[in-house]
Amino acid sequence: MDAAGIERAIACPVKPYDYDLRAANEIVAEAVAATGGRLTGVARVDPLRGDAARRDLAYALDELGLRGLFLHPWEETYRIADRVVDRVVEPAGERGLPVIVAAGYPLLSEALQVSALARRFPEVTFIATNGLQLNISGLGQIDAELALAEADNLLLQTAGVYREDFLEGVVRRFGAERMLFASSYPLLDPRLEIKRVEWASFADADRVLLLGANAERVFRT
Amino acid sequence: MAAVIVDAHLHVDDLPALGWKLDAETCVRRMDEAGIARGVVMTIVDAPEVNPNALELLAEACASFPGRLEAFARIHPWYGDEAVAVLERAFELGFKGLKLHPVSTIAHPADDATLRLIRVAASHGAPTLFHCGDEPLATPYAIAQAAAACPEASIILGHMGGYFHVDEAIEVAERYENVLLETSAMPYPAKIREAVERVGPMRVLYASDGPACSPRIEVEKVRLAGLRPDEEALVFAGNAMRILDGVH
Repeated sequence: MDAAGIERAIACPVKPYDYDLRAANEIVAEAVAATGGRLTGVARVDPLRGDAARRDLAYALDELGLRGLFLHPWEETYRIADRVVDRVVEPAGERGLPVIVAAGYPLLSEALQVSALARRFPEVTFIATNGLQLNISGLGQIDAELALAEADNLLLQTAGVYREDFLEGVVRRFGAERMLFASSYPLLDPRLEIKRVEWASFADADRVLLLGANAERVFRT
Repeated sequence: MAAVIVDAHLHVDDLPALGWKLDAETCVRRMDEAGIARGVVMTIVDAPEVNPNALELLAEACASFPGRLEAFARIHPWYGDEAVAVLERAFELGFKGLKLHPVSTIAHPADDATLRLIRVAASHGAPTLFHCGDEPLATPYAIAQAAAACPEASIILGHMGGYFHVDEAIEVAERYENVLLETSAMPYPAKIREAVERVGPMRVLYASDGPACSPRIEVEKVRLAGLRPDEEALVFAGNAMRILDGVH
């Protein structure tokens, strides 16, 4: 963060070697406590674990003080549009907290799959990683824009989006409130990722939203 | 003195169906922003179909900016003799290479029609730039079949494997000396460094996939790879110039 001039960040649990997401959430909470306000943590659960996932999520949100839900359908292997996901979105929504979805993964978290979930919970804010697409041909852009169009409560992050014209087009069509800078560190390099926002043709006021104000609003930090 | 930079992958085309209008002026403007001296332009769609006038479009673009733009011909292999004729015509016009996008043509990189085009390009000393990413028909292992079948041809893996296939692209380049890795769009600066360490600086070349992708960002990505100055000079320009200047 320091190397890229980043003051604060949202920290998500990584997939732990022992598959213990409850412990991974505790590690994030410890990191949040140790960094003097620079990190805001979110909780990760596996919806396939049913009631246990709901218990772990309640513990992470109510006792550990984490500020949102992080879902990674690719690493936990479930379709984000599957109804099984609803049972962990509900507790986040009841607390007014956002849901981050690791998006753009084939079969599991394609743009229109993410928006299908978002449409079932219009009162919940969903944030999709990777610009809702992981496609080096640019073939994911149309579905990404359709997803944004059909779910007003769906926002996307900039990490790894190599098409500058897509990022600029999203702001032009949907407004800067719908997009957040993100680095996906340590998978991606924050020193490069921040340039995608700093160097694109955005109005200064929009860039303020993208670089921080939107995250402050959504995560209430 | 600033390093010379050659961009090995830019696009000129006009596609109302996608709302993409990518012209030579925009390419050169974005090259100037990034300090790029020369660029290689290609269309988004193929000749002879969907765009039968693709060669003329590119030739005109290059003529508008002499010394700044070169062209690769993007051709659909399934058109057989007609496709070969288009490629030969491209070399008559001064084109410098062949571009293949198996995701759009659904022609396998190692099918007979595709290999025929690759060999025609190689007979002119020209490379074949493949779109190489995460989709079927365009993965590094699929393109490796073509590299194995045409050892006399220079095969460039555009995007060096995309988001998920970069390690396989580097592995393929290790296995086949006629394979080069092209850096555009894939988002990992550290993988550029790894590629240089594993296959050597002579077989990695900078490109942006601009102008819709930012050439300036893509230059920054290579700089963040932390290469030695001599390695960076090859990646930014030396390798591309060697390839472009070797076409006859």
